[in-house]
Amino acid sequence: MDVYPTIKVEKGKTSSLHFKWVFDEMTSSMLIMDIDSNGNGKIEAKENFFIYANYFITLEDYGFYTHVRVDSKPVELPKPKNFKATIENHRVCYSFDIEASYDISKTTFSFGDEELYVACMLKKEFLNVVGAKAKITELKDDFFGYKLELQ
Amino acid sequence: MEFYNAALKQLVMWQYELNSYISGTIRAINDESSLSASLLVLAIAFLYGFIHAAGPGHGKALVAFYFTSNKSDYKKAFKMGYLISLIHATSALIFTFGIFFILKTMFRKNFNDFSHIAMQISAVMIMLVGLYLIYEAYHNRKAKEKKVQRQNKSELGVAFSAGVVPCPGVMTIVLFCVVLGQYTLGVLAALFMSIGMGLTISLAGIFSIALNKRAGGFLNEKAYILEMLGASLVFLLGTFLLVALL
Repeated sequence: MDVYPTIKVEKGKTSSLHFKWVFDEMTSSMLIMDIDSNGNGKIEAKENFFIYANYFITLEDYGFYTHVRVDSKPVELPKPKNFKATIENHRVCYSFDIEASYDISKTTFSFGDEELYVACMLKKEFLNVVGAKAKITELKDDFFGYKLELQ
Repeated sequence: MEFYNAALKQLVMWQYELNSYISGTIRAINDESSLSASLLVLAIAFLYGFIHAAGPGHGKALVAFYFTSNKSDYKKAFKMGYLISLIHATSALIFTFGIFFILKTMFRKNFNDFSHIAMQISAVMIMLVGLYLIYEAYHNRKAKEKKVQRQNKSELGVAFSAGVVPCPGVMTIVLFCVVLGQYTLGVLAALFMSIGMGLTISLAGIFSIALNKRAGGFLNEKAYILEMLGASLVFLLGTFLLVALL
């Protein structure tokens, strides 16, 4: 899946953290069969809740594929807020906010999955960072993913 | 290890690009029927299968252990590789069409449940194949003339136990085609993907046979130990898989 982070930085700290996951078209076709229960091509409030309760929240065990390190030590990600699932261009998207303020000089974000083989793709063009410069590097772990540093 | 990780990551990148390319091409066919685009999908499916099978799973370790414990030729490796990939793809096809047409709803949930059960069955079968190979290695010294018959039986066991789990890669492409109403293309794509996967799995077998042959010169007298070691590894692989799934 593609990861689209939208991050605002004020006075060296994150003031807004928004993430959007966009699943590939093939995976989306499977997901849509299951989640778009009335088949109207849209995710409605009831369906959104079903996805949140049955699919999204279960990813808590995997840190929502979003790993934060402060002073090189892993910190627990707060529970995501404002979850919304949509279908855009035949692709399923999950959006959510992380309500936390991190000192960017001490913090790194990484996106990846060690256990379920979900490949998190982060490209420069997916990034929207306001108030800081961003640097993307490949994870050195033995699973696929990317690290994001803000300066 | 670093090289292995880098290679795995490169495989993920290639699959990412191919996945995007193949889905775009299949959708284009749906919008406007085209023979050349269909052929392109099949060519990409072959390549996708070849790369997909190089990732974790797909019975490469099992094949490698099997050929470590059994003296064999390269033809056998191809036969085994293609048998596994064919069973792997057929299982995915049966499951995809079965669920799509019979159940339709709760697709994902059923897939996860079925996949879990199939993996448990596969793990038990791998353990049984391992036990059979241990038995075979033990009796091999006493009844060498009966080996050919036994080996054919155990090859089928290995192929079936490795291939019975439906391939998620094949399933995804087939389902995508089915959703778009491209049933024939879905079946053909599964076939071409299994040809690509078979090549990768066969190569794992060939590599193992080549190693076995090279080691044979030095360890000819230790053949029994090698057979026992390979057979025990097959059994352990099944045990680990089963324990991880429980």
